[in-house]
Amino acid sequence: MLKLFEREILSVDEISKAQTGIDVRDLCVHLNGKLVLNNINIRIPKNKITALIGQSGCGKTTLLNSFNRMNELNRNHQCSGEVWINDRDIYNRKERISRLRTQIGMVFQRPNPFPMSIYENVCFGLRIQGETNRRKLDDSVERALKNAALWEEVRDRLFDSAMILSGGQQQRLMIARALALEPEILLLDEPTSALDPLTTLYIEELINELKKQCTLVVVTHNMQQAARVSDYAAFMHNGELIEFSDSDSLFTMPAKQQTEDYITGRYG
Amino acid sequence: MAMRRQLQLNTHISAKFNQELENLKHSVLTMGGVIEQQLVNTLVALQEKAPSLAERVSLNDSKVDVMETQVEQECMRIIAKRNPTAGDLRLIMTVSKTATDLERIGDEIARVARLVTLNKIPDSELVFGGMLDIGNRNVAMMRATFDAFARQDDKAAILAHQQDKDIDRVYKKVLEQTAAEIQLNPGDINQWMDVLWAIRAFERIGDRCKNICEYVIYLTYGRDMNSSSMKKTVKKLLK
Ligand SMILES: Nc1ncnc2c1ncn2[C@@H]1O[C@H](COP(=O)(O)OP(=O)(O)OP(=O)(O)O)[C@@H](O)[C@H]1O
Ligand SMILES: [Mg+2]
Repeated sequence: MLKLFEREILSVDEISKAQTGIDVRDLCVHLNGKLVLNNINIRIPKNKITALIGQSGCGKTTLLNSFNRMNELNRNHQCSGEVWINDRDIYNRKERISRLRTQIGMVFQRPNPFPMSIYENVCFGLRIQGETNRRKLDDSVERALKNAALWEEVRDRLFDSAMILSGGQQQRLMIARALALEPEILLLDEPTSALDPLTTLYIEELINELKKQCTLVVVTHNMQQAARVSDYAAFMHNGELIEFSDSDSLFTMPAKQQTEDYITGRYG
Repeated sequence: MAMRRQLQLNTHISAKFNQELENLKHSVLTMGGVIEQQLVNTLVALQEKAPSLAERVSLNDSKVDVMETQVEQECMRIIAKRNPTAGDLRLIMTVSKTATDLERIGDEIARVARLVTLNKIPDSELVFGGMLDIGNRNVAMMRATFDAFARQDDKAAILAHQQDKDIDRVYKKVLEQTAAEIQLNPGDINQWMDVLWAIRAFERIGDRCKNICEYVIYLTYGRDMNSSSMKKTVKKLLK
């Protein structure tokens, strides 16, 4: 049949094991005795952008944090189920957290640069890993800043304090810091909520470029942003995954009434 | 006077959005190309009295329907995903309406083709010649219209728009000739009804092309072509 538009996006049930970046199985998380994630099953596609959407408090951040075991920072934390990344269950007792953290980068809502130079901010993770070779550090910093579309703006002042950068630049610096470790997965929790609309579009474009290198999961409150940037989208409510599908379908013809009500702004 | 804006498709921060709009615009042109071929084939079938070629035109019409559905779906998807505004939104609405008009043009063409398949081509040289005349004018207007759309050329759109006047004139003439033929042979009225429908179909194709020209104007000025402020602009462009 004649096709005017090429759709390269697979529907979620067509995604094979090899195309899966994060495979979450029967995940339950309790925080301080409260059930925050209730039996989540989701296969996050590899080298794609997946958006997590849902009302405040529905568990998006908690789900994101469970992909790199950040929830464990909370002492009163209980979790069951499995999260598979590259044929390994990251909740398996034998897994080392440090390995995981280099494999998975994270960017938060508010840019949180360290009070050091731009250069040191970017190679922070590498230094922690024990890298001391100056050439290697230089190369990594340059590559990361280029990938984060920040290089041109800061190449002449790498050793200035990161604190003088604008909000949008700082956020790209945070992305560069995550990218310096060449993560396979990049988690972004409301990465643009503190930025103006134009800078937001630049970051979105950057995110879109990054999927060549890694699997991205983005939490956003901005429905329009979720629609714009994501290939796949998951709608959560009260700790449950209500609907997960490719964004084209989810934003034009959601399968569940609850999703439709939420994305059309009809939620009570 | 209305303000002219040049729509810049390739200037969004999102490269993918640029691509999507380009593809969308391209898709109606592809659809237009298929329609144009359908019309030309129909005219050849009419002229050569070749029912098998006309049959192929009829079969191909479903292709056009499928294309329309695809364009509509893509418009909907882009609106949902990109939240387009201003010129982008006008482009998408224009593409969607154009696809609808193209689909209808396809139906009109199929109607003429059916006349050939059913072997109901009129014996009257006058009517037959008139049909070919109006059909050829349709092809010319259609090409000019698609060209104006592709280049988003307001002046070209207005010029193409004006070609409809000639089509209407020829239409009236052929209609009168047909009426005269019917009076001569009232017994063949059923035969002639199909001919009348086909002539009417030709006239409609001109109207639909006219619509598309108006969309091009709407796209460039954000105004209806028949509004008073646009009339002055049109006059000035034609000078
Ligand atoms: N340390 C904690 N102890 C108890 N409950 C917690 C704790 N942290 C989070 N919660 C609860 O877990 C639920 C999910 O929180 P989470 O931060 O994942 O939501 P969210 O979807 O990211 O919300 P937002 O959109 O506001 O960021 C909320 O109801 C929250 O109150
Ligand atoms: Mg959150």
